[in-house]
Amino acid sequence: MNVAILRLALAGSRSAVGRLAGIMAGVAIGVCLLLLLWGAADGLAQRDARGAWLRETGGPAYQPPVDGDPHAASVPIPLGPDTMLVARPAEHFRDSVINRVDVAALPDTSARIPGIPAPPKPGEYYASPALQELIQETPADQLADRFGSFAGTIGNEALPGRDSLIVVTGATESEIRSSNGGAGLVSEFTTNPYGDNALAYRTAFLAGGLAVLFPILLLISIVSNLGAAQRRERFATLRLIGATPGTVARISAAEAAVPCLAGALLGIALSALVRPLAAEIPVNGTRVFIDDLATDWTAAAVVAAAVVLSAMLAAGQRTLGAGTGPLGVTRAMPEPMPTPRRALPLLAGFLCLGALAFAAGVPELRSPWWEIPFMVGGFVLIMAGLVIIGPWLTLLVSRAGLRFARSAISVIASSRIAATPSATFRSVAGLVIAVFVVSIFAGGSSALRNVGVPAAVPGVLQPASVRTFIDPAASPDAVDALATQVNGTAGLHATVAYGSGGYGTDESGDQIYIEAAEAVWLGLTEAPDAGTAVLDAGFLNAWNREPVVASASPAILPELTPFAIIVHTDAAPESVDRARTLLVRSRVAAGPPMSPLDDAATGSTRLVAGLSALAYVGMFVAVSISAISLAVATASAMLDRKRILGLMRLMGMPASSLRRIVTREAAVPLLTVLLLAVGLGFLVAWMMVTSLGPAYKMDWPGADYFTALGLSLGIGAAALVSTFGLLRTSTGMSVTRFE
Amino acid sequence: MNAQAQTAPILSARGLRHSFGSTEALRGIDVDIHPGEVLAVMGPSGSGKSTLLHCLAGVITPDAGSVTYQPGPAVGQSVTISSLNEAGRSRLRLTEFGFVFQFGQLLPELSALDNVTIPLLLNGTRRKDALQRSAELLDRLGLQDNGTKRPSELSGGQAQRVAVARALATAPKILFADEPTGSLDSLAAENVLTQMLQLVREAGTTLVMITHDPRTAAYADREILVRDGAVAAGYQVAP
Ligand SMILES: Nc1ncnc2c1ncn2[C@@H]1O[C@H](COP(=O)(O)OP(=O)(O)OP(=O)(O)O)[C@@H](O)[C@H]1O
Ligand SMILES: [Mg+2]
Repeated sequence: MNVAILRLALAGSRSAVGRLAGIMAGVAIGVCLLLLLWGAADGLAQRDARGAWLRETGGPAYQPPVDGDPHAASVPIPLGPDTMLVARPAEHFRDSVINRVDVAALPDTSARIPGIPAPPKPGEYYASPALQELIQETPADQLADRFGSFAGTIGNEALPGRDSLIVVTGATESEIRSSNGGAGLVSEFTTNPYGDNALAYRTAFLAGGLAVLFPILLLISIVSNLGAAQRRERFATLRLIGATPGTVARISAAEAAVPCLAGALLGIALSALVRPLAAEIPVNGTRVFIDDLATDWTAAAVVAAAVVLSAMLAAGQRTLGAGTGPLGVTRAMPEPMPTPRRALPLLAGFLCLGALAFAAGVPELRSPWWEIPFMVGGFVLIMAGLVIIGPWLTLLVSRAGLRFARSAISVIASSRIAATPSATFRSVAGLVIAVFVVSIFAGGSSALRNVGVPAAVPGVLQPASVRTFIDPAASPDAVDALATQVNGTAGLHATVAYGSGGYGTDESGDQIYIEAAEAVWLGLTEAPDAGTAVLDAGFLNAWNREPVVASASPAILPELTPFAIIVHTDAAPESVDRARTLLVRSRVAAGPPMSPLDDAATGSTRLVAGLSALAYVGMFVAVSISAISLAVATASAMLDRKRILGLMRLMGMPASSLRRIVTREAAVPLLTVLLLAVGLGFLVAWMMVTSLGPAYKMDWPGADYFTALGLSLGIGAAALVSTFGLLRTSTGMSVTRFE
Repeated sequence: MNAQAQTAPILSARGLRHSFGSTEALRGIDVDIHPGEVLAVMGPSGSGKSTLLHCLAGVITPDAGSVTYQPGPAVGQSVTISSLNEAGRSRLRLTEFGFVFQFGQLLPELSALDNVTIPLLLNGTRRKDALQRSAELLDRLGLQDNGTKRPSELSGGQAQRVAVARALATAPKILFADEPTGSLDSLAAENVLTQMLQLVREAGTTLVMITHDPRTAAYADREILVRDGAVAAGYQVAP
């Protein structure tokens, strides 16, 4: 390389401090987010692996009946020196779920539970730090009394996150075996966190990661192209004094490398600073450990190298592609015009989702083996399709806009967009993706709202009541004692329901019997005034929404077997938890206490609600970096057109008109694709919701969606407005020279 | 001197001084420009011609001195440009003045025709009328077949003629031209110049034109010579 050329190149980069600073800042933000994303992907996997043992249900605790004789008594498999009996009763406190693991083991067992030195003895418990804190903050009769005496905390290596609520309680073998059906024999805990759902989880995270990754890459590509016009001019000069196109491309690549490398290093430092903040974000109910988000030096090196190399390649390629000749920039290369072919990826995505929607109604066709690839493929195709079709739609709209333009502003903006549809669209593509993701999330969460806390419906089990079935082996006196204890507690009232046989026995039948006077405590509307009332046992099902009618019965309660105990509460959260605690402690129960309230905290509802936090984070990240991209792209387009915009002001165009031109150039491509992004977002959400199960129905999005949408657009608008100052100064009469 | 010299000047500058940092670009200039005249401004490179033109047109505000614009004979109509605010000067430039520069003054994404309509649209003319008037102007400048072309598809001379059409679209009182033919070969320059002068004379527009070329200056009614930021001796304001 010629010395003169090299010196010119260096001089050029020295003069462009602002440009270099911009590239550096943009790359730093991009690299920081990439590393956090990498850390999050890595950390979530670690986190789930640490929580895998909580999924363990164990092997059967009973020998299967011999000869298939259904009436043969099942024979318990005894505890061995390396096994434990484990039960996992559902445990609720307020509206969160506590992961409770009951264990019984021989005193000298060699079986181990992750995170604690040895299985707790009966009456003792180990708790996660977050739960122990909760236990200490809460009056004992609401929580602590459920577990026994504190033996120690569970180590972090067995906790998914800092806020995980986990308790391992010791119990006797007979206590666990009597707990209804839930006991299993465990010698080693599983390490597979997702079981059969692994693929679904991974794809969900992959899709979410892509939605955030795309705007990051877009940002890096936009900032590394900052000041393209001035650079082209300089390269033309270099060509004029004898540099070959290859030399110029290499100079361009080398120029890109320095600020990108500096930005990448800055980004690595930034990610270490931001990590504690990012760890405050709750994911699936708990904040993660800071270390989970950490990435090692390999990750940092890979990200930095990938960003710097691709920026260099892109810069060199762009310079070659721009065809900078010795006569340089007087004839700008026209941007290749987008064609209708750009609709293809979007259509392909539609087809994928269409196939899924079709198959959803045909059970024989359903199989995760093709449904999941189609779901993810469809999602990715639609997301990419939105970005690919954007320039073409923008072109169509701007051409129509030009035809019907009335003002100088719309003529100038429409012409500019029509001449460079890809470049104008690129500046808002990130926002479009963000809106798409927000819409998916809003569609999904609208379905969740529909399975929230049930309303109090007359004639069905009341939402704030807690009930449990009674162990057939429990003595009626113990049941009476429990009822008395409950009735002695403020805000609670116990009703004992009786059956022809005990819970889980062949004689129990479909009917339960109560004292008629108790009907009012259960929320029954039609019941006899006195004596014994009989009603359908379906009443006890929390999900029953059909009013149950109680009728008079000649049965005499003391001759029947206690079947269930139903505790009416005054609906105060404290009362509900007191009722739960009393029922857990009683030892007459055949299973954990349940309440219609629990529904809202369990099952896939909870999972998706947990993921919603992630979706919000993703949206926030995507919108913020898209806003930066928009500001950078706008500023860069402005600087590229500094002279001609200044000339417009000289001709007497007010600065406000320039602002309106710039605003319109961002608004037209955004609004063109916005509706499409919203519509497709809801379509994808609908697909995902229907695949969850028939109980989920899409609904109108909540106010939070419109808030999020408004906020996204607001942030975009703010980004745009932030460039107005630059517009005013860079086109000012005193800085532009007109010759 | 023709008869115009006796009427009140349309533009009158007194004691103009302007510096860029330590460079004194104008060091006290007095000029009177009369309605309908074609004035050539000549002088060596760096002598302050462009700065003078910018001060006259209200593009920049001189450090000292005044510029008065008097579009008609009525006394109340006169405007002191140098004391207007930016918005007022913008308005004045849009409605009363036109500009032609050496090169690169057309919006690259707009067709030639759309480029010409911009000042009209800024003035509130309906687009249909603006397109019609612009097409007429392009016709007069011999560009009837080039209306749909983008500036990058025009030759240098054609682009300058489009710029002239745009500058004259709003029928300005004064046209300021800074080396309008400076980037053209002599044939194209001649072509642009004669067409511009023809339009200007027909409409009675005042033309202030900076040029290096004595042959171009020969088309003018009057010329002044700027040297070191002052009007050289022998070219003083006519009494
Ligand atoms: N924006 C500016 N910043 C600093 N100095 C300037 C600026 N504009 C002009 N000058 C200086 O003012 C002086 C006069 O400049 P001007 O552009 O008016 O000259 P000119 O006569 O038009 O020259 P040319 O014939 O080369 O166009 C020059 O010395 C120039 O360097
Ligand atoms: Mg000049």
